[in-house]
Amino acid sequence: MTRALEGIRIVDLTMGWAGPLATRNLADMGADVIKVESCERFDWWRSWEATPEWIADDGAEKSNQFNMVNRNKRAITLDLEHAEGRRLLLELVATANAVVENFSGGVLPKLNLSYDVFRAVRSDIVQLSMPAFGSTGPWRLFRAYGSTVEQSSGLPHLHGYPEDPPTMVHVAYGDAVGGLNGAAALLTALRHQRRTGEGQFVDLSQAESLFPLAAHGILAYAATGVVPARTANRVPDAAPHGVYPCASAAGEPDSWLLIEVRTEIQWQSLTAVIPETGGFGDLADRLARTTALDAAISSWTRTRPAREAMALLQRCGVPAVATNAMSDLIAEPQLRARGYWQWLDRAVVGNQPNPSPPYRLGDDPIPVRCPAPTLGQHNREVLGGILGLPDEELAALEVQGVIGTRPRMPTS
Amino acid sequence: MSGALGSLRIVDVSGTVATGYCAKLFADYGAEVINLESDGGFPTRSLPPFLPEAQFPEASALHAYLSTNKYSVRAGTLSREECARLLDEADLVLDDGTSTLPVADCRKVRCSISWYGLTGPYAGYAGTDAQCYALNGMLRLIGRIEGPPIMPTGYQAQFVGGITAYIASLGLLLAGELGNRHGPVHLDTSIFESTMCFTDVGAITAHNTGLQASRMGVNRLPPTYPMGVFPCRDGWIGLSVLTPKQWHAFCALLDMNDFAAVPLFQSAIARNEAADVLEPIFSEKLLDLSAEELFYRGQAAGIPLARVPTMEELFGVDQYIERRAFTEATIGDRALTVPSVPFRLFATPPSFGGPVAALGAHDAEYAG
Repeated sequence: MTRALEGIRIVDLTMGWAGPLATRNLADMGADVIKVESCERFDWWRSWEATPEWIADDGAEKSNQFNMVNRNKRAITLDLEHAEGRRLLLELVATANAVVENFSGGVLPKLNLSYDVFRAVRSDIVQLSMPAFGSTGPWRLFRAYGSTVEQSSGLPHLHGYPEDPPTMVHVAYGDAVGGLNGAAALLTALRHQRRTGEGQFVDLSQAESLFPLAAHGILAYAATGVVPARTANRVPDAAPHGVYPCASAAGEPDSWLLIEVRTEIQWQSLTAVIPETGGFGDLADRLARTTALDAAISSWTRTRPAREAMALLQRCGVPAVATNAMSDLIAEPQLRARGYWQWLDRAVVGNQPNPSPPYRLGDDPIPVRCPAPTLGQHNREVLGGILGLPDEELAALEVQGVIGTRPRMPTS
Repeated sequence: MSGALGSLRIVDVSGTVATGYCAKLFADYGAEVINLESDGGFPTRSLPPFLPEAQFPEASALHAYLSTNKYSVRAGTLSREECARLLDEADLVLDDGTSTLPVADCRKVRCSISWYGLTGPYAGYAGTDAQCYALNGMLRLIGRIEGPPIMPTGYQAQFVGGITAYIASLGLLLAGELGNRHGPVHLDTSIFESTMCFTDVGAITAHNTGLQASRMGVNRLPPTYPMGVFPCRDGWIGLSVLTPKQWHAFCALLDMNDFAAVPLFQSAIARNEAADVLEPIFSEKLLDLSAEELFYRGQAAGIPLARVPTMEELFGVDQYIERRAFTEATIGDRALTVPSVPFRLFATPPSFGGPVAALGAHDAEYAG
């Protein structure tokens, strides 16, 4: 069942990472997701530093990040600042189950668009808005990237050494998490729509989406009133627990093995593989002598490639893994065995790897049906096929600049 | 039950953080969620943080957060037939792939959430949250240049796996109502693959360009700079300066106008490469400024600055207070502040907090 959501149509006004990832999750399950950009206000995820040279070089179609989060969708262009573009958008919304947007607060009203406007053309429409801090509250108009969202969640206070600044874990952690929450929110509202015929406005705060990931810190403070300390890779209830240096393979100087021993059975297994740990005792002893324990383990790991050490320890049930580099991931053994990367030809960039949905029915991954569309690729199919615009009207819209298939430098 | 998911019955038989969070989202939107626990209780009951002076199996604050508005039934108190019927009639059964209960009898949707998926060479491996981040390529980029890389703390991978499983499960439940699903289905959700959402693009970029991202130091994350968390006189400010327009506004904000037009600093990547030059210049200025003031002035100038609240400060942030971002779970006569559900349906709002069932509190309701 690769098209679980066949029959659902979503008008996708989102840009960047979070919004397009939210709608991609539904597209992956077979929803008809129609991405709307304009030739001047194209998705900034294609580039935040567009130049005429970049346009001339087809830069808009070469963005790995754009292509990654927009597969399985159709794409049209509509200039929403033009009356005709806005009118056509509303005609399209009238055929859809949901509209999704992640503009900074204030952009939608400037376009004279809102939930009430969408509801006027489709009474049961679902609108998902996913601004960084939500649609209400004093920060509702504030802007943020995924990095800002991570910072605002307090999560960096739970990572790193106490003498270093609070430590971030990703350049855009909030984006992917916000995208997953957006998909969850949309499905929840669509299920209610399906059963009752009622649409509604759905509000997502990307910053609040990260609170569950910080739950261990939030709950520790809530339960005890004590602010959790940053302890880098050490924890108070497990040892060994850390990242240990490994022998460098050719061309790979930054090689590490992560080990987390959580039970005494795992500890006994580890001591059987790493003789250097033989002088350490129970958890209390290991916690009291963590520096010496880490040194003993490091002396063993330093003499072995990370993958070899991982195999030795995992064979005995010890949680230990090599730390992959980005360049390792296409050939990562588990991903490769499960057919995680699906290769599809796409215009301009050729044969490209596409990640599978992280869930599957049976042994095989859910197929990726089509790669990310090019700018305005489905103008004729959507505006002609769904809205019934004749070819001459499409041509006139192109002359007016309302639609098109090539980006233009913004005039304002 | 009422709410957007009011007519659904969900049974969690494994009680991991991942199954628990997936089930929690269903419960928050009104589904009947049953924790079908062993006599010793779900694994989450043994996980920190703990409530002081509370006793096992009701002491875990994490379990309380995950379990508001759910029912607790001990499988051992049900007859074999009662247990089978509960699983058979559920709309969704959640497990971790290792349950000995008759989960395969589920007639609608079964979702197994395991560390690495049910197939492949790692299928039997012992898993942890940090392992997922080591394997997905994130961990190598976190922390000091000389290492070791810094491990993400807590249960982050499982929360990502849990919400991914919610998306997949709810999608398939909706498919049934759309007429797109016929008969029982078994979802295999991999927590590791769920965390690949953070690094898919890095993997593809490395494949296409041959460029290898390396660890650049604490809070030094490509592709841009200034980026990170910096001390001010009254707390921490988060910087994310990406576009040329934001760079110019940032320079104006810190009275660094001489740097605004420097050609080298017009691109994010070039500023990132020049981070060692730029950082001493602005970080010294930040020490004399108020993070609170900078945050509002920066946002007014279109720069996505952030306050970086500690766990203590988080509860006092006006934005989060106004939106009820935190609510209360009640464990007996005790209240615990916990995060609210992050997404809000206006016509069918979620539960905000609620009671946490003691182990076996609903045994009698589901027997017979």
